[in-house]
Formats: sequence, C-alpha cells, structure tokens
Amino acid sequence: MGTGSFETRKGQILFYVLIVLFIMMTTFPLLWIVKMSIISQSELDATPPTILPHTFDLHSFETVFGEDRFVSGLRNTVIIAGTTTVICLSVGSIAAYSLARLKFALQKPVLSLILAVAFFPAVAILGPLFLMFDSAGITDTYQAMIIPDILFALPLTVYLLVAYFRELPLDLEEAAKVDGASPLQAFFRVTLPLSIPGVATTGILTFIFAATEFLFANTFAFTSETQPATVIIPQFATQFVTDYGAQAAASMVLTVPLTIMVLLFQRRIVSGLTAGAVK
Amino acid sequence: MKRRDFLKLSGAGIAGAALLPACGGFSGGESGSSGQLIFSHGPEESGALESLIKQFNEENKGKIEVQWRQMPADTGTYFDQLRTQFDAGGGDIDVISGDVIWPVQFGFSGYIEDLSDRFTEDMQADFLPGPIEANVYQGKIYGVPWFTDAGMLYYRKDLLEKSGFKSPPATYDELFSMAKKVQSDSGTKFGFVYQGAKYEGGVCNGCEYIWGAGGLIQDQEDPNKIVIDSPEAATGLETERSTVEDGITPEAIITYTEPESDTAFRNGDAVFMRNWPYVYGIVLGGDAKIKTDQVGVAPLPTSGSGDIGYSTLGGWNLFINAASDLKDQAWEFVKFMASPEAAKLRALKGAYLPPLKALYEDAEIAKAAPVVPLAKQLADQIRPRPPSPFYSDMSLEMQEIFNTALKGEVSPDEAVSGLQGTLQGIIDKGTQ
Amino acid sequence: MAETVTGVEAEPRPSRATPGGMLRALRSEFTDRDRRLAYYLVSPAVIIILLIAVFPILYAILLSFQDVIPNQPTTWAGIQNYIDLFVDPDFHKALVYTTIFTVVSVGIEVVVGMAIALALNRVFPGRGVARATTLAPWALPPAVAAIMWRLMFQDQIGIMSYLARTLHVYSGTILGSENALLVVAILVDAWKTTPFMALLLLAGMQVIPGDVYEAAKIDGATTAQQFWRVTLPLVKPALLVALLFRTLDAWRVYDLFWVMGLRQLQSVSVFVYNGVRISQLDFSLGNAAAVFVFLSSIAIAFFFFKVLGTRTTE
Repeated sequence: MGTGSFETRKGQILFYVLIVLFIMMTTFPLLWIVKMSIISQSELDATPPTILPHTFDLHSFETVFGEDRFVSGLRNTVIIAGTTTVICLSVGSIAAYSLARLKFALQKPVLSLILAVAFFPAVAILGPLFLMFDSAGITDTYQAMIIPDILFALPLTVYLLVAYFRELPLDLEEAAKVDGASPLQAFFRVTLPLSIPGVATTGILTFIFAATEFLFANTFAFTSETQPATVIIPQFATQFVTDYGAQAAASMVLTVPLTIMVLLFQRRIVSGLTAGAVK
Repeated sequence: MKRRDFLKLSGAGIAGAALLPACGGFSGGESGSSGQLIFSHGPEESGALESLIKQFNEENKGKIEVQWRQMPADTGTYFDQLRTQFDAGGGDIDVISGDVIWPVQFGFSGYIEDLSDRFTEDMQADFLPGPIEANVYQGKIYGVPWFTDAGMLYYRKDLLEKSGFKSPPATYDELFSMAKKVQSDSGTKFGFVYQGAKYEGGVCNGCEYIWGAGGLIQDQEDPNKIVIDSPEAATGLETERSTVEDGITPEAIITYTEPESDTAFRNGDAVFMRNWPYVYGIVLGGDAKIKTDQVGVAPLPTSGSGDIGYSTLGGWNLFINAASDLKDQAWEFVKFMASPEAAKLRALKGAYLPPLKALYEDAEIAKAAPVVPLAKQLADQIRPRPPSPFYSDMSLEMQEIFNTALKGEVSPDEAVSGLQGTLQGIIDKGTQ
Repeated sequence: MAETVTGVEAEPRPSRATPGGMLRALRSEFTDRDRRLAYYLVSPAVIIILLIAVFPILYAILLSFQDVIPNQPTTWAGIQNYIDLFVDPDFHKALVYTTIFTVVSVGIEVVVGMAIALALNRVFPGRGVARATTLAPWALPPAVAAIMWRLMFQDQIGIMSYLARTLHVYSGTILGSENALLVVAILVDAWKTTPFMALLLLAGMQVIPGDVYEAAKIDGATTAQQFWRVTLPLVKPALLVALLFRTLDAWRVYDLFWVMGLRQLQSVSVFVYNGVRISQLDFSLGNAAAVFVFLSSIAIAFFFFKVLGTRTTE
C-alpha cells in the first residue's frame, strides 16, 4: 500500500495537487452546465463569455418546468429505464447462471450470439425495426423503446453476471445440492442472495444506459406521453434559435439524480466489479 | 432475495411491459377516431399556431378535430422521422408541415398527395411564385405554401449614417468598402457575418452568392441539367471567400450557423449580416442589445456581372400524407391554415412572412413587421434551391464544397467544376 | 486463487466419434435433465434476441447486397456495394479518423485510468469525494454532453474557445478544422469515459492482498517494479475486459462526431448514418458500411479473446 515515494513530503504534496487538478478538470464542464442554467439570457449570449456567473436568474428552470413535457419525459425515462433494467436482470441472470455453472454443448455459440448482436450499428436496423414495430402496432409505446434497449444492454449484463457468478465459491452451492436442492433452487436460495452487489452493479449500469439512450427513443416515440427526457431536452429550441439555458437546466435535472444514484452505490459498484473482474 | 420475490419481480416486469399499451400512449398506425386529424410541426414560440388550431377545432366542432404532434426542433431530425415513417408504409400523420426543400423529394416517391386537383391554378395565382415553384414536380403540385422565408441583408442603419452612407450597398464591392470604413470608424468587431458552416444553411448562402453573380445551378428549362460550371458561379464563390480574405468576416465563419451570426449582430458586434427574417422579430421583442431603429433590412447585393441579388427561398409548406384516410378533412385544414386570415395572424403574432401576394399590401402587417414589405420587394428575387428528388444527396455535396471553398482549400473554379461533375452524377444515377 | 468451474455433470459424455455416438450425444444433450434446465434458462435471452434482432440484421445484410434507388426496381448488386465502399474517399476518411480516435482515446483512457485507479487505491482523506466526482461525467447522457461541449467550443460564446485564445493555446477556429475537432473529440471522450476505466481497474486492484506488495518490498522492489511485476499482471483480466468494451464502443462512435462536430467529422458510424438515413442514393452503400462495422467489431472481439486471452467461459 504505502511505497517509498508516497511517504515523502514532496511526494504527498504532488499527489494532492494532482488529485485536486484532476477533480477540477473532471467537474469543470459540469459546473459550467450548472452555471448556464442559473444565469440570465443576456449573460448566456455574452461575447466573450463570463467565467463566474454575474447574474442569478432561474428563468431557465421556469421554462423547463413551465410545461408538462419535461416532467412527463422524466416520468417516461424512469419507466423505460426501470423496466429495461428489471427485465435485463431477470432474463440476464438466469442466462448467466446457466452459462456460468451448467455445462452444455451450445454454451459458446449462445454467448457469442448474445455478445455479437450488440455489435451491429443500431442506426442501420432502425428502418427494419420500425417496420416490425409498426406492423405489430406498437410504435409510440414504451415497449418500442424497452425492447431495443434490452437487446443492446443484454451483452454487458450477461457478461458481467457470468463473471460474477463464476467468482462465487462453489462449496455453498454444492452444500445446498447435497442437501437435496435442484440446481434451480440452489440458484435462487444460494447464488442470488450472495450476488446482490454484482446484480446491483449490473442493474445500475443498465439503468444508466437505458436512461441516456437517444436514437431509439427519437425514432419510435412521437409524443411527450412516451418520449423520455433525452429526446425532450433538444426540443427546447425552434428552427433557428436554441434555448441553451433551458437545455442546461433540463440536463441538470436529468443527470443529478443519476449521478447521486451512482455515488450512493459506488462502493457497491466497486466491490461488484471487483468480483466480476478478477478471475 | 427469496425465490418468490424474485419471480414476482421478474413476472411483474414482463407483465408490466406487456400491459404498457394500456397506459403508455396509443399505438400508431391509425388516425384515431373518425375526424381526428394529426398535424405535425416543430416547436413554436409565438403561440400563433396554437390559437389557429384552437380556432379551427371550434369552428369544426363535431366534424374534425386537429391534434398538433410536436416534431423535433431540428429540421434534419424531423425529415429523418418522416422518412422512417414513410418507408414503413406511411405513418399516421395526416397533414404534414414541411421545409421548402422536401416536397419534390417526397412527391417523387409518392409519399405525399398530388394536390393538383384541389389546389387549382387560380388558387395558386394568389401566392408568390417562388414558394409555388418549390412545390411543383413534373407539372404536379404537392404542397401549399404556409409561410415563407428569404435571406436578407441586415445592416446597422445608425452606424452607416454616422459614416456618411445614406443607403445600403447594392453590390458586394460597395459592401466591402462600407464595411471596412464603418468598422474602423465605429470599432465594431465584425464587418459582415452570415452562415458558412457545413450544413444546409451554408448551401443557402452559397447559392445566393452564385445567383447574385449571375450564375445558375440548375438549367432553367431542364431541371435534369446542371450548369453550375460557369465563370459567373465561380465569381460568386470567390466573393464569398473574399469576405474572409479581405478581413471583414472572421475566419470562424466556417462554423457559423444562424445562432452564431444572429448573436453577433444582436450584440452589436457586426455591421452587416445575412440572415432570415426571424432576427428582426428577436430585435423587436427586445432580446438584443440593439434596437429596431438601429436596424435596416435590404435585398442582398450582387457581385461580378450579376444584376439581381437573389435570396434563397426558405419557409414551410403543408402536405397531405398519401397514406392518410382523411384526405378531405385534411384538405379543409390545409385550406384554413393557408388562408389569408390565418396568414395574417401569423404575420402579426410571429412575424412569419405570408406567401400570399395580397397580404403584402396590408398596412397593418407592414407596420407590425417591416420585414414584410421588404419581402414583397424581393418577391421576384426569391429563388428556391434546385428542386430535385435527390436534393438530399445534392445538398450533402454542396455543403461540403461550399464550405471547403470558403475555407480557401479549393479555388472557386475547382469548386464549381467539381460540383458540376458530382451533382450531374447524382441526377444521372437517380434518373437512369 | 483461480478456481475452475467444473459445472454440473450428470453423466460422462458418450463418445462422438461414431454417427451413433453423435446421435447419442445429441439425444443426451437434450434429454438430460440438467442440460435441459440450462437451455431453459438461456432461452428467454436467446428468444428475445432472435425475435428482435435477427430479422433486422439479416434484412440490413440483404440490403447491402442490393442496389436500392428510390422509384427504381431493386436490383441485385452482389458485392459491388462493398467494392464501391472500399474505394469511396469519404469512407477512407471515416476509417482513418475512427481508427485514430479509437487507438488514441482508448490509449489515453487506459493510461490515465490506470493512474487514477492507482491513486484512488491509496487511502487518503477525501478519497470518497474523489471517487464520487470521478464518476460524474459518466452519468451525463452522451447526446446531451455532445451538445453542451459543442456550445463550449463555439466561437463566440464558448468558454473553451475563449480560454484557448486567451491562454494562447490555439487561436484558430476549433470547430472548423477537422483535425482540431478530432483532438477535441478524443479529449471529450477521454473526459467522459476514463471514470469507467478507472473504476474497473480500481476494482481489479482492490482484490490484490497487501501481503503481495509487502513481500515485494521485502525483496527490495521499487515502486515502479511493484507496478510492473505485481499490480499489472494481477489486474490484467480486469484490464482486458475494460479494454474490450471500450474499444468496441470507440470503434462505433457516433454521437460525439455527429452532434458535436455538426457533420464536419466523419466516423464510420456517421458514414452509415449518412448513407442509410439522409442520402437517397447511397442507401445500399450505408448498409454495406453497417455490415462492415458488424464484421470488424466481431473481428476485434475475436482478437481480444483469442490473442490477448480475455476470458468468458472456461
């Protein structure tokens, strides 16, 4: 843990300087977006731009919350991302268990299929997907976004869960089986409870992916009844004029909860990834 | 987590997804109940559209109800969505509002209805010729002009006067000398700003330079013949490049879209600006550091041997989806939206240029929006970008070459001869 | 430390050498209770994928072999589209930019991510705060980030351009030059995803027990040697996983180039988008490019698995 150069005074100071610099660089653009959301319109248009805010004006937040569409968008984001996550975790965890613990001939092909499907550029299958959804009558519904989200989130989900399940010690499961449990029971009674950190990690990654997805939402959702926030944010504009203040404010409202969620779970994420990564 | 809970959770997830049609919005594919029209247009600030729709719905209560479906603010994304829906069989929008460069592309592929029977030549005569031209393909008309837009020259009346200039420049040579003098007299940051980025707006500007020098892109008799390779066209592009070389325009112009240029002018940082009428509305509304009495608008200047400063036609039109089940009702709505009353409301409330000739005589409108009388003056000088079923591809090429020429990376002669080849190639490939 | 997963074996595998043996193997594969369970468990995932993805992907592949022009009958083009693709100068440019972007940004992310992970691996006051802020850029939606960054680099009201000019770092028009845009795109991507890399690497490092380092120190190893001989080899699995996913993501970059660059910059995915969504005539070309992205991504993954030894299942 401690090594020679860290121990010295100089080393410590240098270390802290670097950390502080790093934090500043990471957060500066985000702080900038926060600034854009709380200043007046004329300061937004100012040339050259001001570094520290000169005005304090919440008009951008008024714009954002003045109509229903953004709040509606937030609600839709939660529904879409939440459902995607739940389904991905359920479907993915049982598939991952099978791939991790049970031996069967088609193991490699199945895993390859799950991974490979996400390699195809989403934009090239938008047309055919739209055709499919249109004939099934599900355009402009939540499903139309949840389904492609699941498709593209499954690879990482399955991959991480496979690695995580394999990490768990076998003896507990063996013990359960000795006691007469079937593999399925062993999975639910033993593996799953032990793997909560890994499942939580994967869940958060999936949620963030689905909550920040833009392409499918933009193509398959037509009204603010179904559109998630990522599509609504660019709508704070007209053909020639973009309301950057409102877009900044809306982005803050969307990102802050996501960030808080990640921060709350960051310890879990780290320990989750720990088990998943080392094998 | 117990097994039961786990199963409950996943079951709930899947069942929830299956049940969502009930609560998560309606399924697409139909136009709703009988008489319910869906009208698509992007976001709109002035509120004029909302009041018009409300008025129509009241007048037609029980028969037709119009629902405004808000489309993406970005024109390109809007176009994209329409194409996706058209490719899949038509979609459920009945009346489509569209950018002036769309009707020929959509009409060619049969996505929008041929309105020649409903929109008679008599009715067409009430409209300005430019917007009508943009909606016609092979003798058939596919859209009704809704509001129109034209590039114009904005200038700082007050600064020009202080430097001794009584009227705006008629040629680019005059503009260059005026700009330089006013810039040094008043210390204004930029002499002239416009839109030079690699996007559709850049094509609008480039076309204006070419036309203003007497050049043409498409042959006037034969739309399948490209004639951009001419000394006049090269002169036009050279003029555009000179604005940077002579120093009245910043090099960063190659990244300027409408917002960049209007910000500069509104902040008082530019003597001249080429932009659409909307900027006047902003100044009128008070969101600028300059006031309306400091701003003048004029037709665009000419260069070389050109004698008319042409403005690129912008604006929006109304189409009827060829796949719609409610075409008669849709036509009622289109007639309403394109009527003189509706156009007048939009002109007064939102400073939207009406495409109807008669309204340019209207004193009320002239007072509320000075850009309107100017547009009338320009009426014969407004020209559409080359109407072609393959305009999207042509635009991509022009965006690239105009921007490269503006950067000075290719000479104007090379630019026009290169474009001659590629544009003609596109038309040939598409009409083979 | 490493345990091999033996899985659950119901009965010894019959020989497959003979046709009879193969049939028996096949039959036992599906009749054996545990094997069947395995298939049941993967079936939801597989069914979803087959139902949703197979048709669109096959359709796009089919389109890449056809010549699709509006209002003209679709003709079979064989591999002509692919030939056209590989001689297309725009495609070359896109390929070059995408490759440079992938190599450089992933490279930066690995190096910086490793440094950050090493730093966060130490215990120091404020570590929680540091860890927390590290993650913030990652939670911002990419499309939104691209818009915001473009605004920050905008010529007049953009703070980055302003800083670049006043600090005399760069006085040209950042958004106007393709090369400058590429640099910016790389930096923004690094800003956004280094957190992800750092976390994955940190996770890998935290499993390494302290005694391994103690033993190395006793043997007289310097800090550098400790890193190269102890940390790096033990972190390698996590590193390879992170590298694989990041490389594939970078290879298919789209939002950053399209939205932030306002089409000045082409990546292979932007090329696909132009062909498939905007152009009328280059539709088939776009599909061919999409298939290219697909196959090349598979090739990259293959390289990672076989050559670098990333593991999935035993």
